[in-house]
Amino acid sequence: MVAMMYNPLRPTPPLRLVDAAPEPSSTAPEAIIRVEDLSIVFDVPRGEVIAVDRVSLAVMPGEFVSLVGPSGCGKSTLLNAMAGLERPFEGEVMVAGKPMLSPRPDIGMVFQQPHLFPWKSVRRNIAHGPRALGKSKTEALRIADDLIDMIGLTKFANAYPHTLSGGMQQRVAIARALANQPRVLLMDEPFGALDAQTRAVMQDNLLELRDRINATIVFVTHDIDEAILLSDRVLIMSAGPGRILRDLSVGLPRPRSSAILTDPAYLALKRDCLDLIRTEGRKAFEQMEAVT
Amino acid sequence: MSTGRHNRATTAGRLSVLVGALSVPAFVGVWELIARSRIVNAVLFPPPSTVAVAVLDWIHSGQFFGDLSASLFRVTVGFLIGTAGGIMLGVLTGRFRLVSSLLSPLFHILRPIPPIAFVPIVILWFGLSEAGKLFLVVWGVFFTVWLATHIGVQKVDRGLVRAALMLGTPRRQMLSEIILLGALPYIVVGLRTAVSISFYTLVAAELAGAFAGIVYRIEIAQQNMQTGQVMGGLAALGLLSFVADRSFAAIAERAVWWR
Repeated sequence: MVAMMYNPLRPTPPLRLVDAAPEPSSTAPEAIIRVEDLSIVFDVPRGEVIAVDRVSLAVMPGEFVSLVGPSGCGKSTLLNAMAGLERPFEGEVMVAGKPMLSPRPDIGMVFQQPHLFPWKSVRRNIAHGPRALGKSKTEALRIADDLIDMIGLTKFANAYPHTLSGGMQQRVAIARALANQPRVLLMDEPFGALDAQTRAVMQDNLLELRDRINATIVFVTHDIDEAILLSDRVLIMSAGPGRILRDLSVGLPRPRSSAILTDPAYLALKRDCLDLIRTEGRKAFEQMEAVT
Repeated sequence: MSTGRHNRATTAGRLSVLVGALSVPAFVGVWELIARSRIVNAVLFPPPSTVAVAVLDWIHSGQFFGDLSASLFRVTVGFLIGTAGGIMLGVLTGRFRLVSSLLSPLFHILRPIPPIAFVPIVILWFGLSEAGKLFLVVWGVFFTVWLATHIGVQKVDRGLVRAALMLGTPRRQMLSEIILLGALPYIVVGLRTAVSISFYTLVAAELAGAFAGIVYRIEIAQQNMQTGQVMGGLAALGLLSFVADRSFAAIAERAVWWR
């Protein structure tokens, strides 16, 4: 596995449309996230559902990886397993060398909904993590104020979440997740509930933010444009049971902006992804039809 | 055109305010007229003026404040104990399945029994002591608050809990902050119901035998055929629970401060 970090000292590598080299599992000790043969099974009234089926993947430190796939393909479940919110049925999830069995503060998460604490101001929401980890109140609020400046909500530091727009709330949620200085930031369709305009702004913000924080990011989305725009690598998942179908490196130069959305190389990559997803989506639909 | 409609609306508004202000005085006036007209027995149905005299006597005799404080003590202390227990156990049963399996079936059987039905056994257990009165109020308040808290805790947004988990929130803080505040809107509704329940059970407790209290005074007056005093007592009780409910509503609005 080749880490696809952008190195400003090297010329930008040519865009690669080929699949990244298949994972020779157990050799890549430097990976920060390592998923090995992970299966997750849910009990449902009519038996069991395999949400994730023998998935293996590795994410390098500093990498931005997107998980893309049709809805119900298990991408969120896979992300939850990386967060320690979902226990493996089989296999293993290792983050920074330790198996994930429960949530850890060195791994931050941003959900599709902001899930801000409604009884806390923006400042105190962001300060919650550092406080929970035993930092002094002054220290926690200082961290919060720095992050508030970074997300550009200085004027709203003392506002309560319900007075903010959806996009602002999600910015606070991102800042809150960053307050513990996580080594890994997991994002579960964080912009999925926002309107198209806000979403575009948030994507640009995230690209900027990414240059300033030192975290590995795993990003779940069903929006191909979003995945390619943001990521170093896009993992395309199959319809349930979830498997990783294709591991595509996005060789587009950074810093990126929405301008690349019209780049021919980008379009080729997108067409590739869409074809795969469309086939998978149809399969998923037919499976559902067959069940009902 | 719109101004005309606006004026009509304010006129209607003013009229309804005026009628609202006259509602109670008009009722008292009609009552006075009927009671004095000798259509009804004035001993059993005394006019408001007689009731007012009885209330003034009650206050002058010094008994009123003794009765008021005895009743207030029972309602307040009973409410506080029942609330504390209800919230504590509600958080536990709402959050921990095992605790819920242990206690919820029991509580669901005990809860629907009207607290008044416990009066006989309370007299056997506690005699006429203050503990028995408190027991009844606590009993009534506890189940209401417990159920509201239990449901509230179960309805706490799971996303909030997950977010708190991801941020490293310790277990204790999870219960005392995320779960409790997450359930607060439900708990507050339960508390408001519990305020009126505490007054119902107060009546049962004092009727069962007491040495002071507003309902106790009503009962004594009834035995002495002092109908004016009986009605004065009822008015005092009504006013008291009205004030309690209204002030609690005001507190409740501020309790969920982030809304």
